[in-house]
Amino acid sequence: MASATRPATVRERVADADRSVGRLLLVAAGALFWGWLVVSWVNRWLGGVLVPVGQPLVPAGAVEATLAALPGLAAYASDAAFVVELSPDLARGTWLTVVITAVSLVLGFFIAVPLAVARVYGRFSSWLSLGYTELLRGTPLLAQLFVLYYGLNLASYVPGALSGVFPRNVVWVAILGFTLNGAAYQAEYIRGALESVEEGQITAGRAIGLSKLETIYYVVLPQGLRYAIPSWTNEFVYLIKYSSLAAFITVPELYYRADQIASETFRYTLIFVVTGVTYLALVLTASKLMARVEGAVAIPGLGVEREE
Amino acid sequence: MSDGDFLGVTDVSKWYGDDQVLHDVSFEMDRGDVTVLIGPSGSGKSTMLRCVNRLAEAQEGSIRLDGEEVLSPDIDVDDLRREVGMVFQGFNLFAHLTARGNVALGPRRVLGLSESESRERAAAQLDRVGLADQMDSYPAELSGGQQQRVGIARALAMEPKLMLFDEPTSALDPELIGEVLEVMHGLVDEGMTMLVVTHEMSFAREVADEIVFLDEGHVVERGPPEQLFERPEKERTGRFLERIESHD
Repeated sequence: MASATRPATVRERVADADRSVGRLLLVAAGALFWGWLVVSWVNRWLGGVLVPVGQPLVPAGAVEATLAALPGLAAYASDAAFVVELSPDLARGTWLTVVITAVSLVLGFFIAVPLAVARVYGRFSSWLSLGYTELLRGTPLLAQLFVLYYGLNLASYVPGALSGVFPRNVVWVAILGFTLNGAAYQAEYIRGALESVEEGQITAGRAIGLSKLETIYYVVLPQGLRYAIPSWTNEFVYLIKYSSLAAFITVPELYYRADQIASETFRYTLIFVVTGVTYLALVLTASKLMARVEGAVAIPGLGVEREE
Repeated sequence: MSDGDFLGVTDVSKWYGDDQVLHDVSFEMDRGDVTVLIGPSGSGKSTMLRCVNRLAEAQEGSIRLDGEEVLSPDIDVDDLRREVGMVFQGFNLFAHLTARGNVALGPRRVLGLSESESRERAAAQLDRVGLADQMDSYPAELSGGQQQRVGIARALAMEPKLMLFDEPTSALDPELIGEVLEVMHGLVDEGMTMLVVTHEMSFAREVADEIVFLDEGHVVERGPPEQLFERPEKERTGRFLERIESHD
């Protein structure tokens, strides 16, 4: 904004150039990552139209030969080939990680909003909401998953209509667990944001004859949910990583597959570095996405202009 | 003096805990009257105003509006409020809605007008307060004076039979007060019934049918402006007016 009033200095132009190079690299990496994932998934769904199901998109041998021919990279050729080799399994695991995270987050949101509203504006329901939130936040997520899976044996109760969606019913148990747990955390973030909506907004809503619930729906939530986006993004990011706990109830998501391959090959370092980078790419995507959403729904004239 | 056909406030008392903030407040208004409540801060003016649309609850007394007892537990407060417009000191515009969205919300969600009808009504009311060219601006993009005019348009869009103004110019920079008072003058000329809390003594003097002077929750004195301003009966009134006017 300020730069419009005076010419940019050389230092600023260099900084701008640096930023655009960094940005370009990030976008390229993102495109490569998501391109690999989506093509892998589509290839699997369509029964191996590009490469046979379970085979890497590019032959591991070709990657190894190419790298071996390059002077500086020859030392990494066999490692790279190994990573390419396991890439179909990683892509497959990442699919479940993405699905579990996304579905749990969205379902959790629809529980979290009423929880937060009850907490801020309810009387008796405020105590119920508080109890739920403290119980779910105060006990280990893994213990909650164990109760649902081993204790209640929920996987055997998955309705027929849902049981065909994933190869294993236990995915639904994981989604339920993350939904219930995530809702408690999301509710806390949303509660904080609702409390930051000015009291005068509610008074004004009531003064034109809106009921309390209508005022919350038409006035408070549209503002509060916007304010909640930055902190809510935390829950998104956490959930991506927490979803790895599903491995402990045998959901074959990213961590589960990595662990399985590692215990067969004993190449723990390499496998978990690659797995970590995959999680990192998901997390960066999530936070970039939410920054975009935040910018898109920002109220004109309010708040800071974000630097992308 | 009014006979209280339209609004009759009788012996209204209110406590916050043990603290009595209104003591047997009484005054009356006819349809089309403009009554101005004046008094030092903390005198209970705003609280009295809020009792009329039940944003504050009076514990004792009676407020009859157009034949209905406002303080009755049986009354639907949302019905009451759709007939009584209110303008706030801090504007309280809905931050996430444009000027037009602010004005249209009540007609759309409370009166049940269609989307296009409520938008049309909003446009007409914004035009009425001189903001036809700012319809798509958000509150944070408007000056204080413009925001308050949107606030007035929002209340008017409900076609209220009584308008309450709670220090509508107190939060404004001096150079922005005029545009709001101008809109309020226009409403007086149209015959709107208005109950106004304000420190704008020249406005009160010009348009009020009756001035009610409150101090520490008591009505110290009330009467037509010429009497109250020129020949106050109570010493307390005189002292207050002297202090205010020397400030003007």
